[in-house]
Amino acid sequence: MKRYLLTIFSLFTAGCGTAIAAPPAAATQTVFNTPTPSTVQVAIRENNPNGEPDPRGKIVWVQTVPFEEYCKDVLPNEWMPSWSPESLKAGAMAVKMFAWYHHLHPITIGGLTFDVDNTTNFQSFRYLSGQVDTNQAVEAIRPLAFTLPSGDIMELNYRAGYRNNPNWQYRNAQKMSQWGSEYWAQRGRTYLQILQFYYMDRSLFQVP
Amino acid sequence: MPRKSHTLISMVTALFSLCLVCSTPFQAAATSVNPATPQPSSKKSPGSNSGTSPFSPNVVNPSTPAPVGPVESGGGHTPSPYAPWPVGKFRAHVIDGRTLQPLATAEVVIIETEQRLRTDADGYTPWVDVPVLRNPRYRPLVQELHGQLGAIAYKNGYRDSIHLGIRMHEGYHTETTIWMYRIGPGDVRIEPVLYEVPYHHLWLVELADRFRSKDQPGEGAERP
Repeated sequence: MKRYLLTIFSLFTAGCGTAIAAPPAAATQTVFNTPTPSTVQVAIRENNPNGEPDPRGKIVWVQTVPFEEYCKDVLPNEWMPSWSPESLKAGAMAVKMFAWYHHLHPITIGGLTFDVDNTTNFQSFRYLSGQVDTNQAVEAIRPLAFTLPSGDIMELNYRAGYRNNPNWQYRNAQKMSQWGSEYWAQRGRTYLQILQFYYMDRSLFQVP
Repeated sequence: MPRKSHTLISMVTALFSLCLVCSTPFQAAATSVNPATPQPSSKKSPGSNSGTSPFSPNVVNPSTPAPVGPVESGGGHTPSPYAPWPVGKFRAHVIDGRTLQPLATAEVVIIETEQRLRTDADGYTPWVDVPVLRNPRYRPLVQELHGQLGAIAYKNGYRDSIHLGIRMHEGYHTETTIWMYRIGPGDVRIEPVLYEVPYHHLWLVELADRFRSKDQPGEGAERP
């Protein structure tokens, strides 16, 4: 009897121990419970001999950049500022959601913790390089988020794609084609229609 | 023989001019200047009617009156002698590279047009019309997605700052930030600071794809 009691007791304590040691279930980060980031930690990589940030270069320092300024300093370096406003807005949304997701999932390399770097490893970033037209696109989508219908914050990936082409293959891969966004904008599609073309099962949310 | 060589030179000139004329790119409809507008040419022969001819170089003699592009109200700039080129609006924002504070009364010179601009209390120059110049050697290969412009900023007590490769788009506003660095007591060899704006990576992707062969594709074609 005593042995049974001991066994039950040990099972109970073991169970408690397991329960305590287990990490708490991670709360899902959604647009409902996660505010838009105020800043982004940008790892600045050393330049190659041509003066351009090297995607394989050493991280020189980590710069804290206000979130909207980061988006404004990325968009003209990822999209062409002369492209259609709806293409720029689609790009602004992709840049924003990409940055938001990575802000929630920072990484550490060589003792430095950061959200993104300033190269095409993440998004091409040049400090204080915002342009009039691209800034307007970023501001136009400021109160909005485009993510999963559940509200879970997901990154929006994109690639260059091909000029004068709808780039269907990018839709199949769930990545927006940058050239494709301009293709559709020139044909009268709105930024939301462009986003819905490349990313399936996503919804537009109002964010505070 | 001289006649033959003259013909050959004319043909080469014509080809080059055609490239320059055709380099009106991409957003030509957005420009306020018609590239086919007749242009004065210092090499125009009597009776020939113009710079629209592919046989006359698309160059304007600055000493001759040039057609003037739209003048920005309040800009107070001298009309560019390069007005027949596609134009875009440009301004510079000059800041102290250490403190990031705006620098007033700095002088910014646009290299291609020699326009001289001065910054206001917020470090901004006025908006001015500038030509959108694409490198003609790339034109037959892949159309460049943006023109390039150079500017030099001067201010007493600061190193000169040269910015090259500023990306320009015809019919659009382009702003660039120029960092200037104060000359300190420990500076014994004082030379200009150079910053080159890199090419837009979308163009680099196109450029690399343009010449990719099938037997040695390298990283392969652009894909999702």
